[in-house]
Amino acid sequence: MSERTNTVKVLEARGVKKNFGGVVALSNGNLECEQGRITGLLGANGSGKSTISKIIAGVYRPDAGEIRLHGKPVHYRNPNEARQDGIAMVYQNLSLVADLTVWQNIVLGGEDSRGPFLDNRSAKERARQIVDQLLPGLDIRKTIYELAPGQMQIVEIAKAIFAQPKLLILDEPTAALEKAQVKSLFDTMRKLVAGGVAIVFTSHRLWEVLEICDDVTIFRNGENVGNIDFARDGKDAAKIVSHITGEEMKARARKRRQIAQGEPIMRIRNLRYGELLKDVSFELRKGEILGVGGLAGQGQRELLLALAGSYPGSTGDVEVAGRAVRLTRPSTAIRNSLLLVPGNREQEGLFLKHSLFTNIVFPKLGLSRQPLFTPRNRYAEECRTIVSTLSIRTSGLDAPVRTLSGGNQQKVVVGKWLTFETNVLLLADPAKGVDVGAKRDLYDYILRQVHEGRMSVILYASDNEELVDYCDRLLIMYEGEIVATLEGSEINEDAIVAASMRVSRSAHEASS
Amino acid sequence: MSRRASSLRRAISKPEFSIFLIFVAMLIVTALLQKNFFETKSVVRNINAFAPIILVTMGQAVVIISGGIDLSAGTAVSLITCVLTTVMKKADPVSGVWALLAALAVALMMGVINGIGIGYLRIPPVIVTFATSFMWLGSALFLRPTPGGEAVDWFYVFYNVGSMQGVSEGLKAFTAIFPPALFLILIGCALWYLLSRMRIGRYIYAVGSNSDSAYESGIDTARVQTAACMINSVFLFLAALFFVGQSQSGDARLGDPLTLRAIAAAVVGGIALTGGRGSVYFALVGALILSLVNKIIFFANISYAYQTLVGGVIVIVAIAASQAYTLYNRRIIAGDGVTLS
Repeated sequence: MSERTNTVKVLEARGVKKNFGGVVALSNGNLECEQGRITGLLGANGSGKSTISKIIAGVYRPDAGEIRLHGKPVHYRNPNEARQDGIAMVYQNLSLVADLTVWQNIVLGGEDSRGPFLDNRSAKERARQIVDQLLPGLDIRKTIYELAPGQMQIVEIAKAIFAQPKLLILDEPTAALEKAQVKSLFDTMRKLVAGGVAIVFTSHRLWEVLEICDDVTIFRNGENVGNIDFARDGKDAAKIVSHITGEEMKARARKRRQIAQGEPIMRIRNLRYGELLKDVSFELRKGEILGVGGLAGQGQRELLLALAGSYPGSTGDVEVAGRAVRLTRPSTAIRNSLLLVPGNREQEGLFLKHSLFTNIVFPKLGLSRQPLFTPRNRYAEECRTIVSTLSIRTSGLDAPVRTLSGGNQQKVVVGKWLTFETNVLLLADPAKGVDVGAKRDLYDYILRQVHEGRMSVILYASDNEELVDYCDRLLIMYEGEIVATLEGSEINEDAIVAASMRVSRSAHEASS
Repeated sequence: MSRRASSLRRAISKPEFSIFLIFVAMLIVTALLQKNFFETKSVVRNINAFAPIILVTMGQAVVIISGGIDLSAGTAVSLITCVLTTVMKKADPVSGVWALLAALAVALMMGVINGIGIGYLRIPPVIVTFATSFMWLGSALFLRPTPGGEAVDWFYVFYNVGSMQGVSEGLKAFTAIFPPALFLILIGCALWYLLSRMRIGRYIYAVGSNSDSAYESGIDTARVQTAACMINSVFLFLAALFFVGQSQSGDARLGDPLTLRAIAAAVVGGIALTGGRGSVYFALVGALILSLVNKIIFFANISYAYQTLVGGVIVIVAIAASQAYTLYNRRIIAGDGVTLS
């Protein structure tokens, strides 16, 4: 793939600038992409990757700078114009319409007509062909809201491919995918590249970038700080990470694993919720980090939501610190110090339009005894402490949370619980879409809290690496049941995969 | 075999199924209360009584699916009747044609104005259409301060062919069984059938479900919202034709009660107020359900004040029930929290 003789530059972006209400998202964005090559776009959250991608795809208009497609300067006013020029984008937060079916979404905006009417037969046919490559067996007649997040992501990718782009921008397409799905995505990407498409690929997982990309462009603080051509400069992971974080790579902060001996702080027996949770039973010990793993969408998220009181219809016996608790409302869960950090931060964890201050103080106002007048100064002080402890990057406490980058938003979701007496922290994929540096800050903080004996943690992560690095004990879920428990040295990626796929059915004894 | 069973379960889990069941239940109750309910005469009378709300509901459904709502629907119907009866002169049959064209133009214009407010100026639909409802009302009162006006004779074709002169007995007999109101409804259905097979039909759902995603997919969302308002205009136009055919006059306050009833009927028919979900045909069923409910209240022989009160309560109960049912089924199918931002 490193034939560098007659290369064709598909995309050249130079000196692109973009501000969002005073926050500089992009100060000097440069990006090049050649025909038949995959360019990795790397950088921490808030470094400007998504912004430059959306500018190229016509969603935003740049404040300054130049974008050339096949050498010609272009100024797109909307995504449709970019699409006409052969630019398709896979959006990080997906551009799917929940109430339409899979195939309707794939052809959306590019429908063929026969006379005045839509040509649905050929649309279905073409949609099926693309889906079959990416995820054989997905029913294209299903409605999007029926799908699991990973399947939605694949539909989003199929939609971009359907447009037959010359330039395909993939903004974190793999965050919601399982390993096998990532592999088939890579196969498809290789086929597209062989057919002359140029691809820009964004991911936080380094191994993916090393495997699939021909070269990488690294962004930090709104400008690009490095270009590495793998054929010329070699694949040096440490160098890439140092470009991303701006510091030398530290060793992976692997937790000292301990078989927690402490007394149980929480006991769950026969937790049920519809088809999603079937008789889940386990104990959580004091000072323990209990992982929940398995394939995507086997009830892990639902387990944490049930514990956080989000499912009034759930049944089961729950004991927290020796007292029986009925977890039918979020407020009871919070009063019993079961605090949730939801995975879908934009919808479940934040008031996007409100300030950082409001977001952090809000749970306090609602749930603990308050003086008649809110002691704003004292809370602001606490807030500043939280901001510095978690190193949240913001222009101030009054900045709307919407203006923060994804990783910093996630820190706010964790931060709002920090002033509470925490018994159990429920982390539902807290590092999804969070960059290497921010992820480390987040887990460092949590580990410190756990070591000081201030909390126990139940952690669901879609990335097995996180589970391996931080868990003392690991429950594997399959179709709403706990099918295996891994402890101590048993916890490694191979074992997790084996247990998730139920390679050995004998691992069934585990749960209670 | 199992495949058939699962598709049956899917059908049952759809909100449409519960709507259909409610409709059947209402039919049975009404038929028990009114002995001659299924006789041709009474069926025709009911079709005539229900036609306006059905048409307005279908138009409303299109707007709600596109992510909007039309609080000006009722006054728009009133204004159209006023325009029709102002342009027409009873003595001059040709003036009826001009009236039709003028009224259709006014109707579409109202749709465009609502669409510009919602789509291009991005004012919340509730505000836009609440404001425009007063514009329509003002204009209607200007044209026709008191109910009245005149209509050409052939306008009976929209209501009762039997009372027209120079029409063959065969046609009269035919329309005694299949009244014009039924054809107005069928025209509405056919219109939506054609549109739903075109781009615009698909895009109305896409924009209503998630306008950001639709925009990112290259759809001109403002244009789609305007188009939805204009489609609604056509349904309102059809409703106005019926009214003028029936009463041979225009009335600036005639449509007032229709607006909220049509919204309620659309929701009863499974149209989600959040947009993007529901079927225009089932909105029609929703309108039928609501009309039958009114009939049942009437038969219960309670005073008019209570009728109004009970009618309001029933609307809230019906909406709450259909939403709870949808929510319940979505949870089971989708595993609850699967949400898109």
